[in-house]
Amino acid sequence: MRRRAPVALSATSVLVALVFATPLAYLISRVAVGDVRMSSVVSDDRVQDALWRTIVLASLVAASAAVIGTALAWLVARSDVPYRRVFAVLVPLPLVFPSFVGALALRASVSPGGLLESVLGPFGVDRLPQIDGLFGSWLVLTLFTYPYVQLPVAARLRALGPSIEESARMLGRRPLAVFFQVVLPQARTAIAAGTLLVFLYAVSDFGAVDLLGYPALTRVIYANRVLRRDLAMALGLVLAIVALIVTIAERRVGRNAAVAQGLRTKHSLTVSLGRWRWPVFGLAVFFLLNAIVAPVASLVHWTRRGITSGSLEVGDADLWTPVLNTAGISMVTALVAVVVVLPLAFLATRYRSRVAGPALTMVVAGFALPGIVIALSMVFLSLNTPVLDAFYQTFPLLVLAYVVHFGAQSVRAASVAVGSVPGRLDDAARMLGAQRWRRLLRIDAPLMAPGLAAGGGLVLLSTMKELPATLLLAPTGFETLATRIWSATEENALAEAGLAALVLLVVSGLLTWVLVVRRAELLD
Amino acid sequence: MPAPRSRLTRAWKGVVASLCAVALVAPACSTDEDRLTIYSGRTSDLIKPLLDQFSEDTGTKIDVRYGDSADLALLIDEEGDRSEVDVFISQSPGAVGFLDEQGTLSELDQSLLDLVDDDFHAGDGEWIGLSGRVRVLVYNTDLVEESELPGSVLDLTDEEFVGRVAVAPNNGSFQDFVTAMRIELGDDAATEWLSGMVANDSPTYSNNTAIVEAVTRGEVPMGLVNHYYLERALDDDPDLPAANHFFDEGDMGSLLITTATAIMAGSDQTEDARSLVEFLLSEEAQRYFSEETFEYPLARDVPQAESVPALSTINTTTIDLDGLGGGLARTAELIQDSGLDR
Repeated sequence: MRRRAPVALSATSVLVALVFATPLAYLISRVAVGDVRMSSVVSDDRVQDALWRTIVLASLVAASAAVIGTALAWLVARSDVPYRRVFAVLVPLPLVFPSFVGALALRASVSPGGLLESVLGPFGVDRLPQIDGLFGSWLVLTLFTYPYVQLPVAARLRALGPSIEESARMLGRRPLAVFFQVVLPQARTAIAAGTLLVFLYAVSDFGAVDLLGYPALTRVIYANRVLRRDLAMALGLVLAIVALIVTIAERRVGRNAAVAQGLRTKHSLTVSLGRWRWPVFGLAVFFLLNAIVAPVASLVHWTRRGITSGSLEVGDADLWTPVLNTAGISMVTALVAVVVVLPLAFLATRYRSRVAGPALTMVVAGFALPGIVIALSMVFLSLNTPVLDAFYQTFPLLVLAYVVHFGAQSVRAASVAVGSVPGRLDDAARMLGAQRWRRLLRIDAPLMAPGLAAGGGLVLLSTMKELPATLLLAPTGFETLATRIWSATEENALAEAGLAALVLLVVSGLLTWVLVVRRAELLD
Repeated sequence: MPAPRSRLTRAWKGVVASLCAVALVAPACSTDEDRLTIYSGRTSDLIKPLLDQFSEDTGTKIDVRYGDSADLALLIDEEGDRSEVDVFISQSPGAVGFLDEQGTLSELDQSLLDLVDDDFHAGDGEWIGLSGRVRVLVYNTDLVEESELPGSVLDLTDEEFVGRVAVAPNNGSFQDFVTAMRIELGDDAATEWLSGMVANDSPTYSNNTAIVEAVTRGEVPMGLVNHYYLERALDDDPDLPAANHFFDEGDMGSLLITTATAIMAGSDQTEDARSLVEFLLSEEAQRYFSEETFEYPLARDVPQAESVPALSTINTTTIDLDGLGGGLARTAELIQDSGLDR
């Protein structure tokens, strides 16, 4: 039986939701004063075609990322696959590729005339299929977004004690049956949460679909953003409505999830893969070859030829400042994002509340909007709100913009994390006389930590590659690795872009290891 | 268990402390009244040395925000009356033309406008060209014989180019080129050319960088781009099998596209802003564009780099928004209607 929510918690949640509603409010106000009618926009054939293409792409990407993300999560959290810890660090990394450079690099590797062709040439392969259109966008987006599923699911599996799976094994279930009958139902909320994020990301993506020539709705928005802005904003509103519908639908699916509570033990469960150990390893390696090695190969190739020709002086590249800026601002953002959404997660998971559902929906749905819309809406919020206007183009507002854009990633992980704390532990502590804050710190926080770290990790990786808000809202002169990569790509200085992207990959790998993977293992 | 948790707390404490520090300090350092604020659509690689030089020479303190020209124009429009921007520098006439239409630019005085030919500034005198890029056909030298190259961009709709010429329909420079075609040949001819390119199954790419990258790889043999992207690629790798083909003298295809600058109507630093525009058109700055960034200088009497054809052989029509019904928005509409972007 869930209790009625404390007023302070409800009020905080409503306030958070209002801030997250800024992009929607901005779009509505723009469309209201503009001279484009929503009815004529949605009845336009070409808009409907573009919307349909967006939904097809996002659905395909969501489905494949769900399967791959879940499989890889289980692999790093439960199996005895060789080099499991190395995989744990590498597997989330593709998330950090900004899609405009990731897609360019991947394409340069595996498309016709690319690096892969020169490797396969001696084996008689002389023309690889072109990576573009729906197929190319599906491939690239799947490879770069499955961590949205993998990180939360791995966290869920770590938080879930192995006792139930062990019992199932002792009752004679085979490992595959344990996976489908025990693990999958337990991870269902995490899988659904991650899949929703993938879907919304695919809906909002512009960089990959633009580069790969797939005319999704975001391309129409970008193409019209300056000269027919009213139309672009109306199309943004269409995306927001799609996002709201999908988010509400996902909440209905996830609502009835019964969460069993396994006993946490000191040891973590390892499932022996037996003779499948090396084949599975091979499969995982093949996957990472596509998701990491292929784009990295192009980045290295570009960098190396720049160094050879002398156009790139690594010593003069001066990447230290962007590295520190990128790492600093993304860590701060990840922390703030987790803290800000925690009240909402508690409200929605622990209490009976009427505001929790709409508030959560608001936080999540904004993720489906293209970055430029989010950035412009934060400009609008800042300039039209007393007090906030003093923070225009300063760090606090930049962090706020990041949090509004990426909060969806932490709120889903946070809800799953709060939901995975056994209610009976809290009840027991209460009966022993522990106060609320003491319970929060001693009982909830340690149990939620892996889930929160996963949510924070997603925000961290996303912030590291964020571009539109950084360019428009950062304090003057604030350079990140993403702005460096963008600037070099704009000028076709691929050697510089390659070097900065490689550094971004290394920095994100280090941070993922220290803040997400290692934390989770320490807490096992 | 206690040990790891305390470590966790310590790490977070550090982060919280730095966040607080940032929150306290940041607003204080952003309110310097007499700085010249510049929004630049040219990336720092292409203009920062000049801006630093100006700042050093004149003692003017400058704040520069780099970004995409179109997005910065939107930002300026969003800022409205509160905008502190003094000077806007744009990669293309489109973004600066948008601000011109919004009435956010101020008229430049005649002595500034006289620094360039009449073709290189706006008809209403609200923006002025800084440097030029020429539209070319970039081609892969392994896949295309020189004899196959067309004299006119209009030939690209011929049968022999089916599937072989890449275009970037949503790119500003491509749209500027189509706009120029509308001015010179009329909407019908432009529409016909676009449908010809569609009928030819011309592959589409997102921008100049993507086209040049694909052409050097051999994925597509040719592509319509601005001349200067290949120069940059050859800088990284001189052995790339690619070259720029300039269309015939006076052909529509070799349009000169200007990068531009403007002073904002709401600027409270008009003196400094004016000196900056003047400096950017000085011989020193114009030589930088020609020698360092492979572009065409626009100020009168400044010599151009030797690696590119003489400006006199190039069609130098500028895009005069005033003289064109529907302006760039109509161009974007024509391109979208043609179905080229698919």
